[in-house]
This record gives sequence, structure tokens and C-alpha cells, in this order.
Amino acid sequence: MYKLQSLKEAAGTISNQSTVALGGNVLHRAPMAFVRELARQEKKELRLVKTAGAHDIDLLCAVGAVGTVDAGFVSYETVYGLPPHYRKAVQTGEVKANEHACYTVISALRGASANVPFMPVSGLKYGDLLEHNDYFVVVEDPFTGEPVTLVRTIFPDVAVIHVQECDEEGNAIIDGPKFEDVLMSRAADRVIITTEQVVSPFRIKQNKEKIDIPAFLVDAVVHVPGGAAPASCYKKYDVDEKALREFIGLKEKQEIIEFVRKYDKKDYQHERRNRTW
Amino acid sequence: MVNYRISDLMTCTIADMLKDGETVFHGVSSQMPMVAMHLARKLHAPNLVHLNIPGGVNPSSVKQSSYSSAGSDLVEAGESYFPLDQIFDLSMRGKLDVAFLGGIQFDINGNVNASVIGDYHKPKVRLPGGAGSAVLIPTAKKAIIWRTKHDPRTFVEQVEFVTTRGNLWKIVTPLCVFVFKNGKLQLDSIHPHTTLEEVQKQTGFELIYDEVRYTKEPTAKQLQMLKQIDPYDYRSVEF
Repeated sequence: MYKLQSLKEAAGTISNQSTVALGGNVLHRAPMAFVRELARQEKKELRLVKTAGAHDIDLLCAVGAVGTVDAGFVSYETVYGLPPHYRKAVQTGEVKANEHACYTVISALRGASANVPFMPVSGLKYGDLLEHNDYFVVVEDPFTGEPVTLVRTIFPDVAVIHVQECDEEGNAIIDGPKFEDVLMSRAADRVIITTEQVVSPFRIKQNKEKIDIPAFLVDAVVHVPGGAAPASCYKKYDVDEKALREFIGLKEKQEIIEFVRKYDKKDYQHERRNRTW
Repeated sequence: MVNYRISDLMTCTIADMLKDGETVFHGVSSQMPMVAMHLARKLHAPNLVHLNIPGGVNPSSVKQSSYSSAGSDLVEAGESYFPLDQIFDLSMRGKLDVAFLGGIQFDINGNVNASVIGDYHKPKVRLPGGAGSAVLIPTAKKAIIWRTKHDPRTFVEQVEFVTTRGNLWKIVTPLCVFVFKNGKLQLDSIHPHTTLEEVQKQTGFELIYDEVRYTKEPTAKQLQMLKQIDPYDYRSVEF
């Protein structure tokens, strides 16, 4: 089935308050073109899910598109520093930060993948995260009577994953580290792939054992080269240091909108939906 | 007398804590432990297993990790692929020997805060979050924390929020090494360039110690190897 869509169309299917799992990790292979389109379409109260986020979460917080963030870590790593917009949004109470332990995000997604309401987590034993968050609960193991911590399953409405190669049906190959993306594709109700390259079904078939996300799980494929920039994309490009530094320094919402606008041409270059391989 | 900087001393001190054959993990924003692990592998611990978020087991080089310790370069230089979810599972079943973790505030009872300053739901300062700490500090056999800041706001009587506690083993700072023993953070050694008075002045709780030991200085061999494996000085990015 032919699933190529324009960026606008694919982002248009995301309703306000959706739970959106974002692929990649910190500054690597984040689905930034899609994130920018969510910002352009002025989505509201999105519930973002990721083990460790950076520019994606920060940008959506900067434009007021976020309701909650379920993540273990949100920062740009040492060289670029802390995410100013995420911090501000949480500190003013506009965004609710549901702090996880990275692993508990993974467990919560495993729960969705297997369609169970919660998952036991053996490591989370102490601390205030257990007391202050309603998505963790300590119960008695019915078999042994020992205490066991449960994390409530997160059922993403949609997973948005940027990959290097995908065919028009949605068979997707991730080069290099896969982070939590394969799990997200199994946990989410819908999967949207943004891809550097749309390759022929023939070429994908030759590499079928390398397919990370099979087409039958995928709802839409968006061709957007440079779709992870200014984050890195393995084998394609490294981080755009200048853009990241510029963004971190921005304060006004209008400046953020201008920043996103600068990507319009690049993000929309493959808007036509014809075959490109 | 060898010439070295605090970042060199901290890196070598961390490397010396690692034993041959141990499975060791570092996360994001962790250039210093990443270099220390590589140093240990190059010198006294060739069979140490270097694990990281992107999943590159035993990367042969860490020279490309300029802005990130979670990049694909570690997979490319790695000998096999073992990603984050599996590293967590490994720790849960008791087979991760050492985890390197961060934090912003630490107290005398070994509590770690990486979450918030102020109220959790409407914080004065929202910190990046504990990442894997809350599940790794309790489950890894030993947790090592490094922090390039040592002042009375970092080492406090009581943290404002307990992100986690557990098998905390050592904390390495620019002034000293703390060891967590008998439920208390105790002074393990102070670095050669400082004094007990200085460490006490910069620590927000009364120091506990039996005798004052000095941290071993980096050896010429270690410093030479550091130049080779970390020519761009990633170990110092936090300074």
C-alpha cells in the first residue's frame, strides 16, 4: 500500500492532546521536521514521550504546544547546556514534567507493546519520584508478598520516527543506534515515518533482514531529507551547531516562529507525493 | 613532579576505581567517565566492558564524541551492539558492575537530587532529570558519581528532592573523593592541591573521616595515554 504523504498532511492527522512518542535520543535522529510542522500547525497540549529529549521537546515547549512531558532526561548535553524553553514552561506550571527513570519509559512502552495496564520495574525502589508521581505505585507481589514497583503503561497515540531509508509502503531501516524507536513502533497506535530517502521496494527487499519497522505497522511515510536537523542523522549529517546555539539563545515566541520558518523550504522540498527513487 | 589539571586528576581517579573485567555503563553528558573508562581499558583493565546509550560495546576510540556521549560514533567504533534497554535489563538482573551517574545535589545520607529545586510540581528550577539514576543506583553493584562543582549548595545536609539513593559507592569532585559507608557520605581522600579546611568550607555538612588521605596523583603513563586517547580534551568540557 502506498503511504507517502506530505509533511503537512501527516502532521495534520495529529489532534490536540495526543500522546506522541518521539524517536531518536537527545541530539540524535530526532524527528525535527515533523516537530517543526507540529509547531507550525499550532498543536496544543501534546503529551510527549521519550527517554531522553533535547531540541524536540524544547522547541514544542517554546511554542506552547505541550501539556505534559514523560521523560527521564531533558537537556542538550554538556556542550550546549540546559533546555531553556522546557525549563521555563515547567517552572511557570504551563507544562507538567512527569519525570521517569528512562527505564520506566521503556517499561511503560513495553506495557503498551504487550497491551497490559502496567509493568513491574525491579530497580525503582527508593525516593520521592515514587511518592510524587501517580504513575508509579508500590504493591505487594501476589506470589511472594514482597514489595514491587509498578509503572503505569503509556499508550502513545502515535510514534514519529525519523529513519535513513524507507520504501513507499513503510518498510523502514534505521542506520546506527536505534534507541527506543523499534519499541515505540510496537507500542504506538499509529506510526509515522519521516525518512531521508525513499528507496525502491526492490532495494528494501534485498535488505529485508535489516528492516527495523515493517510496513504493516506504518500508517504514513513522509519524505524529508534533513528531517532530523539540527540534530544529527548517522551517515547523513552531524549536528548543526550554529542553529542549536541560536535557538537556545532565543527568548520571544516570535523569534521561535522565525526560527522555524527558516526551515520551511527544506522541510517542504519533497511535498509533492510522486515517486522519488 | 608531573604537570596535570584537575580534570586530568579526576579522570585518572575515576579510571583507577574500575577493575579489569567489570561491566561499566555511562550515559549522556558523560564525557569524563567515558574517557576514564577508555583509559582504564587501555592501561590496567583491558577486559573492562564499556557500555553506553547508543549501544556500541567497547568502542575502539572515543575521539569523535565531541558534543555527545550518546552518539552513533560509539556504535561505529564498537565491537558489537547492546543498546540501552538491554543495559537496563542487565542491571536489573544484577549483572552491571558499575554505573556512572550525575546529579546536582547530594546529602550526607547519600541521597541524590537530579530533579528539582523547590516544589516538584511547580519547581523554582527544573533540572534535566535523573535519567537512569533512579533505577541504576539501586541495582548496579557500584554507582560512581562525578560532579565538577563542589560547593555548599551542591553538598548539603539534606537534598530538596530525593531522585534516588542506593548503592552509591563514590563521588568524585574537583576537591575530593567521598565514599558512601555505613549510611553516610564520608571523606575518602582529598586531592593534593587542596586542604581539609578548604574541603570543609565548600561542603554543606560536617565532614566525616578517620584519617586524612590524599588522592593519588595521575602517573606519567596515565597522562601520556590521556593525550593519545583524548587529544581534544573532552574530559574537560564541564570545566
